[in-house]
Amino acid sequence: MTTIRIGRRAALAAGVAALASPAVVRAQADPIKLATLTPLTGAGGPYGPVMAKAAASVVEEVNKAGGVLGRRVVLVSEDDQTNPEAAVRAARKLIDVDKVSAIMGTWASSVTTAVAPLCWESKTFLCTVSGADSITLLPHQGFLIRTQPNSKLQVTRVGEFILSLGAKKAFTMIPQTPFTQSTFDILNQVLPKGGCTHQSLIYDDKKTTYRTEVDQALRTSPDVILANGYTPDTVVLLKDLYRAGFKGKVLGFAYSINQKLVDQVGQPEVVEGVYTFAPSPAEGSSAFEKAKAASGSANPDPYTCQVYDHINLVLMAMANGKAATGEAIKENIRKATVSGGKIVDNAVDGIKEIMAGGKVDYAGASGPCDFDEKGDILDCKFRYDQIKAGKFTLVKIA
Amino acid sequence: MIILQALVNGIVSGTLLAVPAIGFTAMFAVLRFPNFSVSGVATLGAFAGYLAYGAGLQMAGSLAAAFAVAGIAGLAFDKVAHLPLIKQGALPAAIASIATGLILENVVRLGFGNEPRGYDRPIARDVFIGDIRVSPQQVETMGLALLLMLLVFTALAFTRIGKAMRASADNPELAALKGIRPERIAMLASFVGMGLVGVGGMLLGLDSSIDPLTGTRILLSLFAAAVLGGLGSVPGAVLGAFLIGMAEELSVLVVGSQYRAAVGFVAILLVLTLRPRGLLGERAY
Repeated sequence: MTTIRIGRRAALAAGVAALASPAVVRAQADPIKLATLTPLTGAGGPYGPVMAKAAASVVEEVNKAGGVLGRRVVLVSEDDQTNPEAAVRAARKLIDVDKVSAIMGTWASSVTTAVAPLCWESKTFLCTVSGADSITLLPHQGFLIRTQPNSKLQVTRVGEFILSLGAKKAFTMIPQTPFTQSTFDILNQVLPKGGCTHQSLIYDDKKTTYRTEVDQALRTSPDVILANGYTPDTVVLLKDLYRAGFKGKVLGFAYSINQKLVDQVGQPEVVEGVYTFAPSPAEGSSAFEKAKAASGSANPDPYTCQVYDHINLVLMAMANGKAATGEAIKENIRKATVSGGKIVDNAVDGIKEIMAGGKVDYAGASGPCDFDEKGDILDCKFRYDQIKAGKFTLVKIA
Repeated sequence: MIILQALVNGIVSGTLLAVPAIGFTAMFAVLRFPNFSVSGVATLGAFAGYLAYGAGLQMAGSLAAAFAVAGIAGLAFDKVAHLPLIKQGALPAAIASIATGLILENVVRLGFGNEPRGYDRPIARDVFIGDIRVSPQQVETMGLALLLMLLVFTALAFTRIGKAMRASADNPELAALKGIRPERIAMLASFVGMGLVGVGGMLLGLDSSIDPLTGTRILLSLFAAAVLGGLGSVPGAVLGAFLIGMAEELSVLVVGSQYRAAVGFVAILLVLTLRPRGLLGERAY
């Protein structure tokens, strides 16, 4: 009679294997579920469908290449209707019914603010393109990243651009907004470092003329004026600056100084030479080219590029974490952009490298995709234009 | 020097404010309720003038279009919504006028969208008179406003219909005994008053831009000007408009532009506390 002796270690290993194997088998059969929650309708309606399409194309590519962790990826797309109530209903369905590990692409700040608590409570990872500073200050426990630069990053870059124009005396004219004080504080820090003084004035955006405000600004003999309002008041301000004979440089955000403003002013010399700036995708990068193909758009907007980055980052985070949970994404999202790692511009290459034991440094379509501990993007590209003969001409993307 | 410049700026904006303020106070004198739909009507007038100007009409023609469209709209709303409620008192009519103002604002929004629009007028550099900066366009706009005011005063002082309006405003019963038909005077006051408000909306938009909120932006200043001068007093509205215009510009130097709205409120508060009848009382003329 042969006695089969089983050691304690072998018995333990066998037991663990026996317990674990059904899970492994089941996991291989079950697809990984991820979701986009973008505005297919409502104010964000022009952006949401393209965003969702870009993410779906990336998932398709990854599935063709064998999926992640040996599992297929299923992307569920829901419409947040640019409405927090509708977004909460959609998020509940994604979390409770579809059991997705990550939700990507929330656009309006109000939507993201409403959806974020559902995500961190259910340990679902959330990637957003919303801009409000308050979002990353929510107690999200790390379950949130944002690819849209916050106002601190944007204003810091504006200050650096003002310095690059050789300004010695800058003046900011701005209406009362939630970011007025922070704009002053940041510029008061950034500009003096470059040898530029900074003064400012808050104006009432409901006034029909800013003659006295312009007089006040011009008394300080500024060489650069930052016109930091919205389109209707900036139209009046630019006209009054022109009338007053201001010869210095003027700059403002592209969301207010846009083609509509130029058309409305109707007289090219009033806006001649005005600079504009806006967060920009990393145009010219290989990831941007991939985002073009994924979205089917020759000129994908910043949000589409950001969602392209969301899905790539999430997929690589799961590969790095060897698990498809929100918790694993949270722990590993920053490992997709390890400096010194192999530079990749898509998840297929990234996952291949990670599975081979390597490290990756993802260079995204929206920028470098490095996040601070609050989930804010550390840097991104900005686009600077100048109006010449009534047309916006690119100065630089940096 | 900057104070003098601010005062000049204030006189310019006060002149523009005076036109709709005259309309507002003239309507109050006859109809006896504050018609807050002036916000919507001023916007409507500004857009009517914009369309007319864009269609190739000259300034006078465009102002006439703004006057006519605003006047007809004001008359229609008075007939349908405000005057039926006046029997219940001034308050229900005033509240109804807030609603009609909102309706008009949103009708404009429906037709033109939220985008601001500008009159296609050449923008000229300012000229200096001594150290004071003056905009040639604003001088032109101011001239138009002064001309209109002169017309209104002449009409009130010398024409039969003007005298009838003043009589009706002073004492409706006595005027009725004299054969003046109060309904006709009320209709005339609505039409002319709102016409002036519409023209005021256009004049204010000429140098800046117009959008559905154009009228709402001037509502507080306009009301403050009328209250300051004495609700119902046409010369009072002019005086009030100048004072409010100058106070708003001077306040920029003292407390900052963001507190501009406070100037209107403080003016109303002071007048109601110290001299409720306003600076010139209620005399219509």
